[in-house]
Amino acid sequence: MWKYIAKRILLALLTAFIILSLTFILIKLLPVQRFLGTTEQRTAYYENEVRLGYLYSSDAEIDGIDYADKITYDDGSVKYYYKTPVMQQYFNWLGNIVTKWDWGKSVEIKPNVDVTVIIGERIGTSMKLNIISVIFSVPIGIALGIWAALKKNSLTDHIISTIVMVFIALPGFVLITFLMLMLCYRNAILPSQWPNPTDPTSRKVLGYILPVFCLSFSSICGYCRFVRAELCEVMESEYLLLARTKGLTRGQAIVRHALKNAMVPIFPSIIAEFLSIMGGSMILEGLYGIPGIGDLFIKSMSASAPDYSVLFVDMAIFTTFGLLAGVLLDMSYGFIDPRIRMGAR
Amino acid sequence: MKKSKMIVALLIALMMVFTVVLSACNKDKHTHTFAQEWSSNSTYHWHKATCEHTSEVSDRGTHELDGNNVCKVCGRNSSLDEYRSYISADLGDIKNAIGSVSTTVDAAVNEAYNAGLEAIQSANTVSAIKSAYDNAKSAMVHCVPLASGIYDYTGLSQAGKTEILGLLESYAVRTGLTGVSLFENGSYVMYNPRVTLGTENYITGYGFGVLSEGAITADLTYEQTQAWKRYYHSLNSQDPGGMNTLNDKGSETDDFYSYVAASYYTVFMNATKDGYDWVPELAAGEVEPVGALNESGQTNHWRFEIRQGLKYSTLGKYANEYNDLEVQPEDFITPFKLLLNQGNNYYRGTSLANSTGASTIAGAKTYYNATAGKRKGILTEEEQKFEDVVGVKVVKEGDKWYFDYTLGANVTAWYARYYISSSLYMPIPASFIEKVGVDAYLGFTTNGSDSPVDNTLSLGAYTLERWDSNQQIVYKKNTNYVYSDSKYSIEGVHINIVPGTLTNPNLAFEEYLAGHIDAASIPQDYLEEYANKPETRRTTGNNVFKLNMNALNAQDWDYFFGANGSITQTPTSKRWVVEPAMSNAHFRSALSFALNRNEFGVNIGRVSTVNYFSSNYMSDPENGIAYNTTEAHKRAISGLINDDTDENGYSLELARDYFRMAIQELEAEGLYTRGTPQNPTKIQIEIAWQTPSNEEQYHKYVKQYWEDAFNDVSVTGGCYQLEVVFWVGNSWDDVYYNKMMVGQFDVAFGSISGNSQDPLGFMEVLSANQTISGDMTLNWAVDTNDPYADVLVYNGLLWSYDALHQSTQQATKVVGGKLVQYIAPDNAGFEFDQDRENLLTTITIDVADGVVIDEITFLLYGVLGGDDYMNVLDVIGDPVAGNGTLTYSLSISVEELLTLDPGYFADYTSILVYVSYHVPADNIEVEDLLLKQYSVEIASSYGLSTVVENDDSFTVSVDMKLTKGVTIDDIYFTFEGYTEDLDWGYVLLEDFDVTEGEGYITITFTVSKSALEESGISGEVVPHPTQQGKFVDLSGYQSLYAYVVLDDAGEVEFNTAYWNMVLVQPAPVQAE
Repeated sequence: MWKYIAKRILLALLTAFIILSLTFILIKLLPVQRFLGTTEQRTAYYENEVRLGYLYSSDAEIDGIDYADKITYDDGSVKYYYKTPVMQQYFNWLGNIVTKWDWGKSVEIKPNVDVTVIIGERIGTSMKLNIISVIFSVPIGIALGIWAALKKNSLTDHIISTIVMVFIALPGFVLITFLMLMLCYRNAILPSQWPNPTDPTSRKVLGYILPVFCLSFSSICGYCRFVRAELCEVMESEYLLLARTKGLTRGQAIVRHALKNAMVPIFPSIIAEFLSIMGGSMILEGLYGIPGIGDLFIKSMSASAPDYSVLFVDMAIFTTFGLLAGVLLDMSYGFIDPRIRMGAR
Repeated sequence: MKKSKMIVALLIALMMVFTVVLSACNKDKHTHTFAQEWSSNSTYHWHKATCEHTSEVSDRGTHELDGNNVCKVCGRNSSLDEYRSYISADLGDIKNAIGSVSTTVDAAVNEAYNAGLEAIQSANTVSAIKSAYDNAKSAMVHCVPLASGIYDYTGLSQAGKTEILGLLESYAVRTGLTGVSLFENGSYVMYNPRVTLGTENYITGYGFGVLSEGAITADLTYEQTQAWKRYYHSLNSQDPGGMNTLNDKGSETDDFYSYVAASYYTVFMNATKDGYDWVPELAAGEVEPVGALNESGQTNHWRFEIRQGLKYSTLGKYANEYNDLEVQPEDFITPFKLLLNQGNNYYRGTSLANSTGASTIAGAKTYYNATAGKRKGILTEEEQKFEDVVGVKVVKEGDKWYFDYTLGANVTAWYARYYISSSLYMPIPASFIEKVGVDAYLGFTTNGSDSPVDNTLSLGAYTLERWDSNQQIVYKKNTNYVYSDSKYSIEGVHINIVPGTLTNPNLAFEEYLAGHIDAASIPQDYLEEYANKPETRRTTGNNVFKLNMNALNAQDWDYFFGANGSITQTPTSKRWVVEPAMSNAHFRSALSFALNRNEFGVNIGRVSTVNYFSSNYMSDPENGIAYNTTEAHKRAISGLINDDTDENGYSLELARDYFRMAIQELEAEGLYTRGTPQNPTKIQIEIAWQTPSNEEQYHKYVKQYWEDAFNDVSVTGGCYQLEVVFWVGNSWDDVYYNKMMVGQFDVAFGSISGNSQDPLGFMEVLSANQTISGDMTLNWAVDTNDPYADVLVYNGLLWSYDALHQSTQQATKVVGGKLVQYIAPDNAGFEFDQDRENLLTTITIDVADGVVIDEITFLLYGVLGGDDYMNVLDVIGDPVAGNGTLTYSLSISVEELLTLDPGYFADYTSILVYVSYHVPADNIEVEDLLLKQYSVEIASSYGLSTVVENDDSFTVSVDMKLTKGVTIDDIYFTFEGYTEDLDWGYVLLEDFDVTEGEGYITITFTVSKSALEESGISGEVVPHPTQQGKFVDLSGYQSLYAYVVLDDAGEVEFNTAYWNMVLVQPAPVQAE
């Protein structure tokens, strides 16, 4: 078992490495961001790129290589700037990580600051928000699912199912935009942006309501649908009928047998939903001004001022979380259902 | 009597009266005779009388036009009349552009003009009329003598420069170089009623004076921190991550820095609240020249008294040490040392060092170059000489301190003050920089522990109070600020970071409406509701966004951008198919007339304008005169605005008239063939937009305006159809680099902003010569160095655009109206011969007629130990009269190069070629740098590779090319890293065989673990975790350099260029 877990974790890390390497190479293959401005401004910009190792310069055009940009000076001389070979950048980057655990410094988002520090400042907020969303969505989703299943084909079931279908199709960022307008701007019930550290506790608490609600809404709907389907299936099973014929009340049969068995596939899905919430928070964080790693991911990809060092670390976090969650998900089956044995021959 | 009988009686009476009258007229019994052919004017046709009663006409009637504007009755082509009329007016414009030159010239011009009018009137086809116009224009223009000689208009008064600016703009408007202006980036802004503005009328280039002269009269309820309730609240879409404006390429950091920054001089609103005045801020008085002024009142050497008693402010962790600390005289020099030390890698430092013209500081480039490879920080005088190199110093006279500075060129006192008033030059104690570190100054430390609050000192109106990353940035009023008592009464500034505003254009305004911030621009969706509210104000902008035009015909396009183009060389497969209509001046005018800018501006919430420059461009900054208000500008745009247009040049009728004319001309030239209403000829124009949101917001309007105007049945009867399509790049700047700058466009949206105090200088971007425009040419229409491309007459002489513009920037040689360079390097190269025994060079120079070359000097140049070194290689002293291309060759033996004094050949970084020449006809003598090239390497590497041998050693191989006669004394190499503990380490190698090189050789040597350890480097050789083989763990080092010490030739560096320091086997790494 432990060998299996270790193997899965190692494979996950290897996959993360491959994903990051490919991402690095593909992003670095993008055309060089060219700078508009006066001759001296452009010189300054490109010389800085040279210092960062992204470009190198030449006084003459190099045959067979497309230059990234050229600058014509007042005296008629021309300077050409070429992109540093991608693999050279890659090995440099990888070498720094492997030998010094140096993921680089930010050049745009927080110039000069280690990217791991930037991530460290933000990851707490994102995790807190995502975990609260999970805690919020699981009981509500499951309860609604049970309710709908127990009232199968009744008006209550139809209402719940319809609402679920509508809202499952509604992305969180659309919902939050609408709710911000209604609850923050048209009616000043909730803060319109993520509260500042200097705001009173009451506003900080209120600040969680909108993002948590919007992040968990899709999950609530997902759980509800899933639980309803599983429970309905179990409720129609023969062993539950047997339990009833043996004299158990409906409630006893549901609690002791139906729910327990229906939960087997549902609990692992919580991990998958957590990942889904993390993905959803990327855009939502930006919209609500939440200083988390999701918003950071989007910012670091900004076309006008990309910050690749930040992007790669952020991506490493998301990738690693995703892959390790997959491992955890697989393992959870074994814990929840003892019939499933991982790595057993 | 019955009513009907009365009417009958009345009719009879009338008939009797007419009978009598007609009888009287007909007493001669003459019958008029009329011509068979029709006579006509633009409205009626008739038959002229052929008898003596020539005033008699018959069959007079209005024209009955068919689809081609031909009268079905008389056959007259009405469009031709209209065309004659417009083309005659065009000829009048040319005459006006020439103006009054001299009695003789004026008479000749008038004669040519009148002859032209006559020819136009008598011509019966479009091509004949156009030909008559072209001939007349050419005849008129050729009456004006061409400018020839040396011209220097740099010393002209502001009024004189404005006049030239107007002429250049006029030329550019006529030729299509200015494109079509769309809007100025001003907007509607709403202010919270608790904010009292400094003025209710927006002052261009200054604003409403909200912070400096305004006040806040009530608390902001939404703010929960009691102390901040009276702070001015605003928002920003993103946290800049610091405010080190010295190392930033954008303007956002400048905005944050501006609260804490001060400069030598600043501006405050004037007493009448309709402009602003310059006042000393860190200075104590006005600038004064050092030495005599020239006849134009200019010099490059100035000084001013420094204000004493200035104190720094900080609320950060170093407050005990630096808050209230008095500014010392040397602190005024520190920012220059900080900027210009290459080791500090400051963007604005590189920019300052590379800037040219008056705005730069003398010696900045020299100091900057000399600091290559120096440590970070503020270099001491011992480390790098500054005082005698850079043109800034602080001098004491009595009890006063003066800041003495030398700019890059002569300027008036106003510009001397303007150029030195940059907040980049705000004083800072060197000790503070050393304490917080160059990288963390005005920003965060690498580990994030110290924020800008800790790493910033303020001399400005506010002090940084709090910086919560990505959430809020707060400033508090600085009581140490010079004008703290009289200005900036608002207690602080609170900036909330709201990233959602980047994606939601309405969010900032919603924040305003919710009472969270004090001001916001009104977005497009809210204009109708809020534009006329009492809290709404109107602002002007600092940039005009335009639709730039590619007005080249196919032939000219090929000249500039074809396979052998002078600007870029475009492969045949990517050749841009020019839309012929774009090269027609009337078509382009029609595009301008068709834009309803007023309506467009209202719809998008921007300031409508037809002007090329935005409102803040000053033609006379000293007197606060905006260029757009001058008569010169009004004359320049008279072709765009007239009685038939609104104030922003819109006239649908004119647009259709001009489109009609354009189509006639284009058909006459054979560029288009008329279709039918069922199958119209299509004209497709592509507009390239910067971003999808540009396309979404603007394209639909422009498309509608242009298509509605052109596709109206009155233009071509439906026989042509204009289709306006769009293009959007992947990145916003694609429209510049992939479209406008390489000629791959019809119309493209964009703008360039320049120095608003020097619009004349900024006109350089309209030149088709990219050396003049700095690669920033966006509109393509004509060869701007052709004096006959249009009409540009100044001082009674005909000029090319480039010639006249350049003469306002420097002394300029003009021949035949064209800008001429006396001499220009055409080709040059330095290389060793096959045997590497001689250094050869051949230099080709383009020389203008009449130029006599006196001497050409070849120099080696380098910086040794902080001093400039030069070594003359050769002097060619035979005077040669120039008339075309001259070629010089030079051969220097390697032996000679190996015995240089001072220094070694390898110490010299550049080869300079100076030329002395004189031009007898112009009575000038010049000694100038002709070209500068990086020196050739006496030995050079082309490869460096490593192989791990065993657990104790690895080998390094250097492939190199050596010059004959060069011997190797030593080889050592360094591992360079940038950890805190170790900057670099090196290993000296003694184990090598080759001592004399000749041509290509490879030197292989072994590095042992013990050698590494002796040098303090932990060079563990360990198995590779995933691959076969071993690697050397050189943690902490990023680069490997090999240095080869050559006998009598100095030290040569072989660089692996950021080579990965994990040496994997096999891992050959090619050096550059």
